[in-house]
Amino acid sequence: MISFSKEQSILKMGDVTIGGQPGEHPTVLFGTVFYGKKYREPIPEVLDEARRFIRAQEEMSRLTGNPGIVDIFIDSTERIEPRISLVLEEVPGPRPISLDIPETEVRQAALKYAAEAGLSGRVILNSFNLGATEDELAALGEHPPGTAVLLGYNPRDFSADGRVEMIDTGAGYLEKGLMSYAEEFGIGNILLDTGATPFDHNAAETLRAIPVMKNKWGLPTGCAIHNTVESWLWMKGYRKEHRAEYLTCDAGSNALPVVMGGDFCVYGPIRNAGSVFPVVAMVDKFVAEGAEDYFGVTSSEDHPRRKLE
Amino acid sequence: MTLYPWRGEFTVGSETSQVAIDTLASRLDFPKEKVAIWGQHKTENLGIEKIMANVISNPNIRYLIICGEEVRGHRSGDSLIALHANGIDGNGRIIGAKGAVPYIENLPPEAITRFREQVEIIDMIGTTDLDKVLEKAGELASRPREPFGEPIIIEFVEREKGSQMKSFEGKIALHKDLVVDPYLEVEELALEAGS
Repeated sequence: MISFSKEQSILKMGDVTIGGQPGEHPTVLFGTVFYGKKYREPIPEVLDEARRFIRAQEEMSRLTGNPGIVDIFIDSTERIEPRISLVLEEVPGPRPISLDIPETEVRQAALKYAAEAGLSGRVILNSFNLGATEDELAALGEHPPGTAVLLGYNPRDFSADGRVEMIDTGAGYLEKGLMSYAEEFGIGNILLDTGATPFDHNAAETLRAIPVMKNKWGLPTGCAIHNTVESWLWMKGYRKEHRAEYLTCDAGSNALPVVMGGDFCVYGPIRNAGSVFPVVAMVDKFVAEGAEDYFGVTSSEDHPRRKLE
Repeated sequence: MTLYPWRGEFTVGSETSQVAIDTLASRLDFPKEKVAIWGQHKTENLGIEKIMANVISNPNIRYLIICGEEVRGHRSGDSLIALHANGIDGNGRIIGAKGAVPYIENLPPEAITRFREQVEIIDMIGTTDLDKVLEKAGELASRPREPFGEPIIIEFVEREKGSQMKSFEGKIALHKDLVVDPYLEVEELALEAGS
Protein backbone atom coordinates (compact mmCIF):
# COMPACT_ATOMS: atom_id res chain seq x y z
CA MET A 1 0.00 0.00 0.00
CA ILE A 2 3.02 2.27 0.31
CA SER A 3 5.84 3.06 -2.04
CA PHE A 4 9.27 4.47 -1.36
CA SER A 5 10.89 7.33 -3.24
CA LYS A 6 14.21 5.88 -2.16
CA GLU A 7 15.43 3.21 -4.58
CA GLN A 8 14.94 -0.23 -3.04
CA SER A 9 17.65 -2.82 -3.61
CA ILE A 10 16.71 -6.26 -4.85
CA LEU A 11 19.06 -8.94 -3.54
CA LYS A 12 19.68 -12.47 -4.74
CA MET A 13 20.44 -15.02 -2.06
CA GLY A 14 20.93 -18.24 -3.98
CA ASP A 15 17.55 -18.95 -5.58
CA VAL A 16 15.74 -16.46 -3.33
CA THR A 17 15.01 -12.92 -4.44
CA ILE A 18 14.21 -10.36 -1.77
CA GLY A 19 13.52 -6.65 -1.60
CA GLY A 20 12.35 -3.97 -3.97
CA GLN A 21 9.23 -1.86 -3.64
CA PRO A 22 6.34 -3.33 -1.63
CA GLY A 23 4.43 -5.71 -3.86
CA GLU A 24 7.34 -6.36 -6.17
CA HIS A 25 8.68 -9.60 -4.66
CA PRO A 26 7.05 -12.04 -2.25
CA THR A 27 7.75 -11.75 1.45
CA VAL A 28 10.51 -14.15 2.49
CA LEU A 29 9.71 -16.29 5.53
CA PHE A 30 12.27 -17.67 7.96
CA GLY A 31 11.12 -20.67 10.02
CA THR A 32 13.30 -21.74 12.93
CA VAL A 33 14.18 -25.38 13.45
CA PHE A 34 15.81 -27.06 16.48
CA TYR A 35 14.56 -24.54 19.04
CA GLY A 36 13.41 -26.54 22.04
CA LYS A 37 14.82 -28.87 24.62
CA LYS A 38 13.60 -31.96 22.78
CA TYR A 39 16.33 -31.33 20.21
CA ARG A 40 19.06 -31.41 22.82
CA GLU A 41 19.79 -35.06 22.13
CA PRO A 42 19.86 -36.34 18.52
CA ILE A 43 16.93 -38.74 18.96
CA PRO A 44 16.06 -40.24 15.53
CA GLU A 45 12.29 -39.68 15.89
CA VAL A 46 12.82 -36.05 16.82
CA LEU A 47 15.21 -35.48 13.94
CA ASP A 48 12.72 -37.12 11.57
CA GLU A 49 10.11 -34.70 12.85
CA ALA A 50 12.49 -31.80 12.13
CA ARG A 51 12.91 -33.08 8.59
CA ARG A 52 9.14 -33.24 8.15
CA PHE A 53 8.79 -29.65 9.33
CA ILE A 54 11.45 -28.50 6.86
CA ARG A 55 9.70 -30.30 4.01
CA ALA A 56 6.37 -28.86 5.10
CA GLN A 57 7.79 -25.34 4.91
CA GLU A 58 9.20 -26.11 1.48
CA GLU A 59 5.79 -27.34 0.39
CA MET A 60 4.08 -24.18 1.66
CA SER A 61 6.71 -22.15 -0.15
CA ARG A 62 6.05 -24.01 -3.40
CA LEU A 63 2.32 -23.58 -2.93
CA THR A 64 2.24 -19.86 -2.14
CA GLY A 65 5.35 -18.51 -3.85
CA ASN A 66 6.69 -17.05 -0.60
CA PRO A 67 10.29 -18.23 -0.31
CA GLY A 68 10.92 -20.22 2.86
CA ILE A 69 14.32 -20.19 4.49
CA VAL A 70 15.29 -22.63 7.21
CA ASP A 71 16.62 -20.76 10.21
CA ILE A 72 18.84 -23.19 12.14
CA PHE A 73 18.99 -22.62 15.89
CA ILE A 74 22.40 -23.58 17.23
CA ASP A 75 23.28 -23.23 20.90
CA SER A 76 26.60 -25.06 21.15
CA THR A 77 29.65 -25.65 18.97
CA GLU A 78 29.14 -29.42 18.89
CA ARG A 79 25.70 -28.93 17.34
CA ILE A 80 26.96 -26.83 14.42
CA GLU A 81 27.92 -29.61 12.02
CA PRO A 82 25.09 -32.10 12.64
CA ARG A 83 22.34 -29.50 12.50
CA ILE A 84 23.63 -27.80 9.37
CA SER A 85 24.22 -31.16 7.69
CA LEU A 86 20.68 -32.32 8.38
CA VAL A 87 19.19 -29.16 6.93
CA LEU A 88 21.42 -29.31 3.86
CA GLU A 89 20.12 -32.81 3.19
CA GLU A 90 16.59 -31.41 3.04
CA VAL A 91 17.13 -28.02 1.44
CA PRO A 92 17.96 -27.93 -2.24
CA GLY A 93 20.95 -25.84 -3.27
CA PRO A 94 21.49 -23.03 -3.85
CA ARG A 95 18.81 -22.15 -1.32
CA PRO A 96 20.45 -20.20 1.52
CA ILE A 97 20.41 -21.36 5.12
CA SER A 98 20.04 -19.04 8.06
CA LEU A 99 22.09 -19.52 11.22
CA ASP A 100 20.32 -18.37 14.38
CA ILE A 101 23.08 -18.39 16.99
CA PRO A 102 22.65 -16.30 20.14
CA GLU A 103 26.12 -16.84 21.61
CA THR A 104 29.11 -15.10 20.12
CA GLU A 105 31.59 -17.96 20.62
CA VAL A 106 29.28 -20.33 18.77
CA ARG A 107 28.74 -17.78 16.00
CA GLN A 108 32.49 -17.52 15.52
CA ALA A 109 32.85 -21.30 15.32
CA ALA A 110 29.95 -21.53 12.86
CA LEU A 111 31.47 -18.90 10.57
CA LYS A 112 34.72 -20.86 10.52
CA TYR A 113 32.89 -24.14 9.93
CA ALA A 114 30.90 -22.66 7.05
CA ALA A 115 34.05 -21.32 5.42
CA GLU A 116 35.85 -24.65 5.69
CA ALA A 117 32.82 -26.48 4.31
CA GLY A 118 32.56 -24.07 1.37
CA LEU A 119 29.16 -22.87 2.59
CA SER A 120 29.82 -19.23 3.40
CA GLY A 121 28.03 -17.99 0.30
CA ARG A 122 24.85 -19.83 1.29
CA VAL A 123 24.92 -18.66 4.89
CA ILE A 124 22.70 -15.93 6.28
CA LEU A 125 24.09 -14.88 9.65
CA ASN A 126 21.08 -14.21 11.89
CA SER A 127 22.17 -11.97 13.35
CA PHE A 128 25.05 -9.52 13.53
CA ASN A 129 24.24 -7.46 16.60
CA LEU A 130 25.57 -5.42 19.50
CA GLY A 131 26.63 -8.61 21.27
CA ALA A 132 29.51 -9.03 18.80
CA THR A 133 32.88 -9.16 20.54
CA GLU A 134 36.27 -8.23 19.13
CA ASP A 135 36.84 -11.92 18.40
CA GLU A 136 33.57 -12.11 16.51
CA LEU A 137 34.42 -9.03 14.48
CA ALA A 138 37.71 -10.70 13.58
CA ALA A 139 35.90 -13.92 12.62
CA LEU A 140 33.49 -11.98 10.43
CA GLY A 141 36.40 -10.27 8.69
CA GLU A 142 38.10 -13.60 8.12
CA HIS A 143 35.05 -15.66 7.14
CA PRO A 144 32.32 -13.28 5.96
CA PRO A 145 28.97 -14.93 5.28
CA GLY A 146 27.15 -14.34 2.01
CA THR A 147 24.39 -12.52 3.87
CA ALA A 148 24.14 -10.92 7.28
CA VAL A 149 21.07 -9.74 9.14
CA LEU A 150 21.93 -6.53 11.00
CA LEU A 151 19.87 -6.32 14.19
CA GLY A 152 18.65 -2.90 15.26
CA TYR A 153 17.97 -3.91 18.87
CA ASN A 154 19.25 -1.06 21.01
CA PRO A 155 18.67 -1.61 24.74
CA ARG A 156 19.24 2.08 25.45
CA ASP A 157 16.68 3.40 23.00
CA PHE A 158 13.77 1.38 21.63
CA SER A 159 12.48 4.17 19.40
CA ALA A 160 12.70 3.75 15.64
CA ASP A 161 15.53 6.27 15.68
CA GLY A 162 17.36 4.29 18.36
CA ARG A 163 17.14 1.15 16.27
CA VAL A 164 18.46 3.02 13.26
CA GLU A 165 21.30 4.37 15.40
CA MET A 166 22.38 0.87 16.38
CA ILE A 167 22.93 0.00 12.75
CA ASP A 168 24.18 3.42 11.70
CA THR A 169 26.63 4.32 14.47
CA GLY A 170 26.77 1.42 16.94
CA ALA A 171 24.82 3.57 19.44
CA GLY A 172 27.85 3.80 21.71
CA TYR A 173 28.06 0.03 22.16
CA LEU A 174 30.33 -0.57 19.20
CA GLU A 175 33.05 1.62 17.75
CA LYS A 176 31.03 2.04 14.58
CA GLY A 177 27.73 1.01 13.12
CA LEU A 178 26.87 -2.54 12.17
CA MET A 179 26.46 -1.31 8.60
CA SER A 180 30.01 0.02 8.47
CA TYR A 181 31.40 -3.25 9.79
CA ALA A 182 29.36 -5.32 7.34
CA GLU A 183 30.57 -3.23 4.42
CA GLU A 184 34.14 -3.39 5.67
CA PHE A 185 33.95 -7.19 5.89
CA GLY A 186 32.68 -7.37 2.31
CA ILE A 187 29.40 -9.03 3.20
CA GLY A 188 27.58 -9.03 -0.11
CA ASN A 189 23.96 -9.07 1.00
CA ILE A 190 22.68 -7.10 3.95
CA LEU A 191 19.25 -7.50 5.51
CA LEU A 192 17.96 -5.26 8.28
CA ASP A 193 16.02 -6.57 11.29
CA THR A 194 14.40 -3.84 13.34
CA GLY A 195 14.65 -5.95 16.54
CA ALA A 196 11.28 -6.86 18.05
CA THR A 197 10.58 -5.65 21.59
CA PRO A 198 7.77 -6.59 24.01
CA PHE A 199 4.59 -4.62 24.56
CA ASP A 200 5.26 -1.65 26.88
CA HIS A 201 8.78 -1.56 25.49
CA ASN A 202 7.96 0.37 22.34
CA ALA A 203 6.73 -2.72 20.51
CA ALA A 204 5.15 -0.65 17.75
CA GLU A 205 8.47 1.04 17.06
CA THR A 206 9.61 -2.34 15.77
CA LEU A 207 7.12 -1.83 12.96
CA ARG A 208 7.61 1.91 12.51
CA ALA A 209 11.32 1.30 12.02
CA ILE A 210 10.63 -0.81 8.93
CA PRO A 211 9.72 2.05 6.56
CA VAL A 212 12.24 4.30 8.32
CA MET A 213 15.10 1.89 7.60
CA LYS A 214 13.94 1.16 4.08
CA ASN A 215 13.78 4.87 3.47
CA LYS A 216 17.29 5.38 4.82
CA TRP A 217 19.13 2.45 3.28
CA GLY A 218 16.83 0.98 0.64
CA LEU A 219 17.69 -2.51 1.86
CA PRO A 220 15.36 -5.45 2.56
CA THR A 221 13.98 -5.00 6.06
CA GLY A 222 11.90 -7.13 8.40
CA CYS A 223 11.64 -8.44 11.94
CA ALA A 224 10.55 -11.30 14.17
CA ILE A 225 7.38 -9.63 15.42
CA HIS A 226 5.95 -12.94 16.66
CA ASN A 227 8.29 -12.51 19.63
CA THR A 228 6.15 -9.61 20.82
CA VAL A 229 3.12 -11.91 20.87
CA GLU A 230 5.17 -14.64 22.54
CA SER A 231 6.15 -12.29 25.38
CA TRP A 232 2.66 -10.76 25.82
CA LEU A 233 1.89 -11.23 29.51
CA TRP A 234 -1.90 -11.58 29.19
CA MET A 235 -1.53 -14.02 26.34
CA LYS A 236 0.81 -16.20 28.39
CA GLY A 237 -2.07 -16.95 30.69
CA TYR A 238 -4.79 -17.08 28.03
CA ARG A 239 -2.89 -19.44 25.77
CA LYS A 240 -2.80 -22.15 28.40
CA GLU A 241 -6.45 -22.87 27.68
CA HIS A 242 -6.68 -21.36 24.21
CA ARG A 243 -3.81 -22.67 22.13
CA ALA A 244 -5.57 -22.30 18.78
CA GLU A 245 -6.37 -18.67 19.49
CA TYR A 246 -2.77 -18.03 20.49
CA LEU A 247 -1.52 -19.55 17.26
CA THR A 248 -3.93 -17.34 15.34
CA CYS A 249 -2.39 -14.26 16.95
CA ASP A 250 1.11 -15.64 16.45
CA ALA A 251 0.57 -16.28 12.75
CA GLY A 252 -1.47 -13.10 12.27
CA SER A 253 1.27 -10.91 13.69
CA ASN A 254 3.29 -11.61 10.57
CA ALA A 255 0.82 -9.54 8.59
CA LEU A 256 2.01 -6.38 10.31
CA PRO A 257 5.58 -6.07 8.95
CA VAL A 258 4.29 -6.78 5.46
CA VAL A 259 1.72 -4.00 5.64
CA MET A 260 4.47 -1.67 6.83
CA GLY A 261 6.45 -2.38 3.68
CA GLY A 262 8.67 -5.13 5.08
CA ASP A 263 10.42 -7.75 3.00
CA PHE A 264 10.81 -10.66 5.41
CA CYS A 265 9.43 -12.17 8.60
CA VAL A 266 11.26 -14.44 11.02
CA TYR A 267 8.09 -16.23 12.08
CA GLY A 268 9.32 -18.53 14.85
CA PRO A 269 8.98 -22.32 15.04
CA ILE A 270 9.04 -23.88 11.60
CA ARG A 271 6.19 -26.17 12.61
CA ASN A 272 3.91 -23.13 12.24
CA ALA A 273 4.59 -22.82 8.51
CA GLY A 274 1.12 -24.17 7.68
CA SER A 275 -0.61 -21.25 9.39
CA VAL A 276 1.93 -18.49 8.67
CA PHE A 277 2.40 -18.85 4.92
CA PRO A 278 -1.29 -18.39 3.96
CA VAL A 279 -1.56 -15.29 6.16
CA VAL A 280 1.50 -13.69 4.60
CA ALA A 281 0.50 -14.75 1.09
CA MET A 282 -2.88 -13.09 1.63
CA VAL A 283 -1.31 -9.84 2.84
CA ASP A 284 1.17 -9.99 -0.02
CA LYS A 285 -1.78 -10.10 -2.40
CA PHE A 286 -3.34 -7.02 -0.80
CA VAL A 287 -0.05 -5.14 -0.86
CA ALA A 288 0.79 -6.14 -4.42
CA GLU A 289 -2.66 -5.34 -5.75
CA GLY A 290 -2.54 -1.95 -4.08
CA ALA A 291 0.97 -1.34 -5.38
CA GLU A 292 -0.07 -2.17 -8.92
CA ASP A 293 -3.38 -0.29 -8.82
CA TYR A 294 -1.91 2.90 -7.45
CA PHE A 295 1.81 2.94 -8.13
CA GLY A 296 2.02 0.69 -11.18
CA VAL A 297 4.37 -1.77 -9.46
CA THR A 298 4.49 -5.11 -11.25
CA SER A 299 4.75 -8.22 -9.11
CA SER A 300 7.23 -10.94 -9.96
CA GLU A 301 5.99 -14.11 -11.68
CA ASP A 302 6.18 -16.19 -8.52
CA HIS A 303 4.36 -13.66 -6.33
CA PRO A 304 1.21 -14.83 -4.51
CA ARG A 305 -0.58 -12.04 -6.38
CA ARG A 306 -0.09 -14.00 -9.58
CA LYS A 307 0.24 -17.50 -8.24
CA LEU A 308 -2.83 -17.64 -6.00
CA GLU A 309 -5.81 -16.37 -7.98
CA MET B 1 4.16 0.26 50.05
CA THR B 2 4.08 -0.99 46.48
CA LEU B 3 5.65 -4.40 46.43
CA TYR B 4 6.90 -5.70 43.11
CA PRO B 5 6.32 -2.56 41.02
CA TRP B 6 7.39 -4.09 37.71
CA ARG B 7 4.87 -6.25 35.93
CA GLY B 8 5.99 -9.69 34.92
CA GLU B 9 5.18 -13.36 34.78
CA PHE B 10 5.45 -14.09 38.48
CA THR B 11 3.43 -15.36 41.42
CA VAL B 12 3.47 -13.62 44.78
CA GLY B 13 3.58 -15.74 47.91
CA SER B 14 4.42 -14.70 51.46
CA GLU B 15 5.55 -11.11 51.90
CA THR B 16 7.70 -12.08 54.87
CA SER B 17 9.49 -15.02 53.25
CA GLN B 18 13.15 -14.38 52.62
CA VAL B 19 13.35 -16.65 49.58
CA ALA B 20 12.64 -15.72 45.95
CA ILE B 21 12.90 -18.25 43.12
CA ASP B 22 13.76 -17.69 39.47
CA THR B 23 12.65 -20.77 37.52
CA LEU B 24 14.19 -19.68 34.19
CA ALA B 25 12.55 -21.58 31.30
CA SER B 26 10.75 -24.06 33.55
CA ARG B 27 7.27 -23.78 34.95
CA LEU B 28 7.34 -24.63 38.64
CA ASP B 29 4.82 -23.80 41.35
CA PHE B 30 5.53 -23.45 45.04
CA PRO B 31 3.53 -23.27 48.28
CA LYS B 32 2.71 -19.59 48.77
CA GLU B 33 3.57 -19.64 52.45
CA LYS B 34 7.15 -20.74 51.77
CA VAL B 35 8.28 -18.42 49.00
CA ALA B 36 8.07 -14.64 48.60
CA ILE B 37 7.86 -14.50 44.81
CA TRP B 38 8.67 -16.83 41.95
CA GLY B 39 8.37 -16.99 38.20
CA GLN B 40 9.95 -17.70 34.86
CA HIS B 41 12.71 -15.56 33.44
CA LYS B 42 13.40 -15.58 29.72
CA THR B 43 15.72 -12.74 28.79
CA GLU B 44 19.20 -11.69 29.81
CA ASN B 45 18.34 -7.98 29.77
CA LEU B 46 14.74 -6.89 30.42
CA GLY B 47 14.01 -10.04 32.43
CA ILE B 48 16.92 -9.43 34.77
CA GLU B 49 15.89 -5.81 35.21
CA LYS B 50 12.41 -6.91 36.31
CA ILE B 51 13.82 -9.37 38.82
CA MET B 52 16.13 -6.76 40.34
CA ALA B 53 13.45 -4.07 40.53
CA ASN B 54 11.02 -6.42 42.23
CA VAL B 55 13.48 -8.05 44.63
CA ILE B 56 14.75 -4.75 46.03
CA SER B 57 11.16 -3.63 46.66
CA ASN B 58 10.91 -6.30 49.37
CA PRO B 59 13.85 -6.15 51.83
CA ASN B 60 12.68 -9.41 53.40
CA ILE B 61 14.04 -11.27 50.38
CA ARG B 62 17.60 -12.31 51.21
CA TYR B 63 18.03 -15.39 49.05
CA LEU B 64 17.41 -15.86 45.35
CA ILE B 65 17.35 -19.42 44.07
CA ILE B 66 17.96 -19.75 40.33
CA CYS B 67 16.72 -23.09 39.11
CA GLY B 68 14.98 -24.76 36.17
CA GLU B 69 16.15 -25.23 32.62
CA GLU B 70 18.53 -22.55 31.37
CA VAL B 71 17.09 -20.42 28.57
CA ARG B 72 18.76 -21.57 25.38
CA GLY B 73 20.90 -18.94 23.76
CA HIS B 74 19.89 -16.16 26.11
CA ARG B 75 21.67 -17.84 29.05
CA SER B 76 19.46 -15.78 31.34
CA GLY B 77 20.44 -17.66 34.51
CA ASP B 78 24.13 -17.45 33.76
CA SER B 79 23.73 -13.73 33.05
CA LEU B 80 21.94 -13.08 36.35
CA ILE B 81 24.68 -14.91 38.26
CA ALA B 82 27.32 -12.90 36.38
CA LEU B 83 25.51 -9.67 37.19
CA HIS B 84 25.37 -10.52 40.87
CA ALA B 85 29.04 -11.51 40.93
CA ASN B 86 30.54 -8.82 38.70
CA GLY B 87 28.04 -6.01 38.07
CA ILE B 88 28.03 -4.08 34.80
CA ASP B 89 30.69 -2.21 32.88
CA GLY B 90 30.51 1.44 31.88
CA ASN B 91 28.44 0.55 28.86
CA GLY B 92 25.76 -1.36 30.74
CA ARG B 93 27.05 -4.78 29.73
CA ILE B 94 26.95 -7.47 32.41
CA ILE B 95 30.57 -8.36 33.05
CA GLY B 96 31.32 -11.97 32.22
CA ALA B 97 27.83 -12.83 30.94
CA LYS B 98 27.64 -15.30 28.10
CA GLY B 99 24.07 -14.43 27.04
CA ALA B 100 23.25 -12.92 23.67
CA VAL B 101 22.58 -9.29 24.63
CA PRO B 102 23.32 -8.92 28.36
CA TYR B 103 22.74 -5.22 28.92
CA ILE B 104 21.11 -3.38 31.84
CA GLU B 105 19.79 0.02 30.81
CA ASN B 106 16.64 0.80 32.77
CA LEU B 107 17.83 0.69 36.38
CA PRO B 108 20.05 3.18 38.21
CA PRO B 109 23.44 1.96 39.50
CA GLU B 110 22.26 2.14 43.11
CA ALA B 111 19.51 -0.38 42.36
CA ILE B 112 22.07 -2.81 41.00
CA THR B 113 24.35 -2.30 43.97
CA ARG B 114 21.43 -2.79 46.35
CA PHE B 115 20.38 -6.02 44.59
CA ARG B 116 23.89 -7.43 44.77
CA GLU B 117 24.14 -6.63 48.46
CA GLN B 118 20.62 -7.62 49.46
CA VAL B 119 20.47 -11.18 48.17
CA GLU B 120 22.63 -14.24 48.11
CA ILE B 121 22.33 -16.24 44.91
CA ILE B 122 21.84 -19.99 45.08
CA ASP B 123 22.79 -21.54 41.75
CA MET B 124 20.53 -24.51 41.02
CA ILE B 125 20.42 -24.04 37.26
CA GLY B 126 19.34 -27.28 35.61
CA THR B 127 17.35 -28.48 38.62
CA THR B 128 13.68 -28.98 37.79
CA ASP B 129 12.87 -31.26 40.70
CA LEU B 130 10.34 -29.32 42.75
CA ASP B 131 11.13 -31.22 45.95
CA LYS B 132 14.84 -30.46 45.70
CA VAL B 133 14.18 -26.77 45.20
CA LEU B 134 11.70 -26.71 48.07
CA GLU B 135 14.17 -28.51 50.28
CA LYS B 136 16.74 -25.82 49.54
CA ALA B 137 14.14 -23.10 50.17
CA GLY B 138 13.36 -24.70 53.54
CA GLU B 139 17.03 -24.85 54.43
CA LEU B 140 17.43 -21.17 53.60
CA ALA B 141 14.37 -20.30 55.66
CA SER B 142 16.09 -21.87 58.65
CA ARG B 143 18.93 -19.39 58.24
CA PRO B 144 17.00 -16.22 59.06
CA ARG B 145 18.47 -12.85 58.22
CA GLU B 146 17.35 -9.37 59.10
CA PRO B 147 15.45 -7.46 56.41
CA PHE B 148 17.86 -5.44 54.27
CA GLY B 149 16.95 -1.87 55.20
CA GLU B 150 14.12 0.03 53.60
CA PRO B 151 12.38 -1.00 50.38
CA ILE B 152 13.61 0.60 47.20
CA ILE B 153 10.84 1.21 44.73
CA ILE B 154 11.97 1.83 41.18
CA GLU B 155 8.92 2.80 39.22
CA PHE B 156 8.76 1.40 35.72
CA VAL B 157 9.56 4.35 33.48
CA GLU B 158 6.73 4.98 31.11
CA ARG B 159 8.09 5.66 27.66
CA GLU B 160 8.01 9.27 26.64
CA LYS B 161 4.91 10.05 24.68
CA GLY B 162 5.55 11.35 21.21
CA SER B 163 4.48 14.81 20.16
CA GLN B 164 5.30 14.74 16.52
CA MET B 165 3.11 14.25 13.54
CA LYS B 166 5.02 11.57 11.76
CA SER B 167 4.11 11.17 8.16
CA PHE B 168 5.14 9.14 5.19
CA GLU B 169 4.73 12.08 2.80
CA GLY B 170 7.73 13.05 0.75
CA LYS B 171 9.64 9.90 1.52
CA ILE B 172 6.93 7.32 1.32
CA ALA B 173 3.73 7.79 -0.58
CA LEU B 174 0.44 6.43 0.67
CA HIS B 175 -1.98 8.63 -1.24
CA LYS B 176 -1.74 11.82 -3.27
CA ASP B 177 -3.84 13.78 -0.77
CA LEU B 178 -1.66 12.99 2.22
CA VAL B 179 0.54 16.04 2.28
CA VAL B 180 2.24 16.49 5.63
CA ASP B 181 5.88 17.33 6.14
CA PRO B 182 7.72 14.55 7.93
CA TYR B 183 8.43 15.17 11.62
CA LEU B 184 6.44 18.39 11.65
CA GLU B 185 5.52 19.31 15.21
CA VAL B 186 1.82 18.88 15.93
CA GLU B 187 1.67 22.37 17.37
CA GLU B 188 3.11 23.91 14.22
CA LEU B 189 0.68 21.92 12.15
CA ALA B 190 -2.24 23.24 14.16
CA LEU B 191 -0.97 26.79 13.73
CA GLU B 192 -0.65 26.31 10.01
CA ALA B 193 -4.13 24.88 9.83
CA GLY B 194 -5.49 27.89 11.70
CA SER B 195 -3.64 30.50 9.67
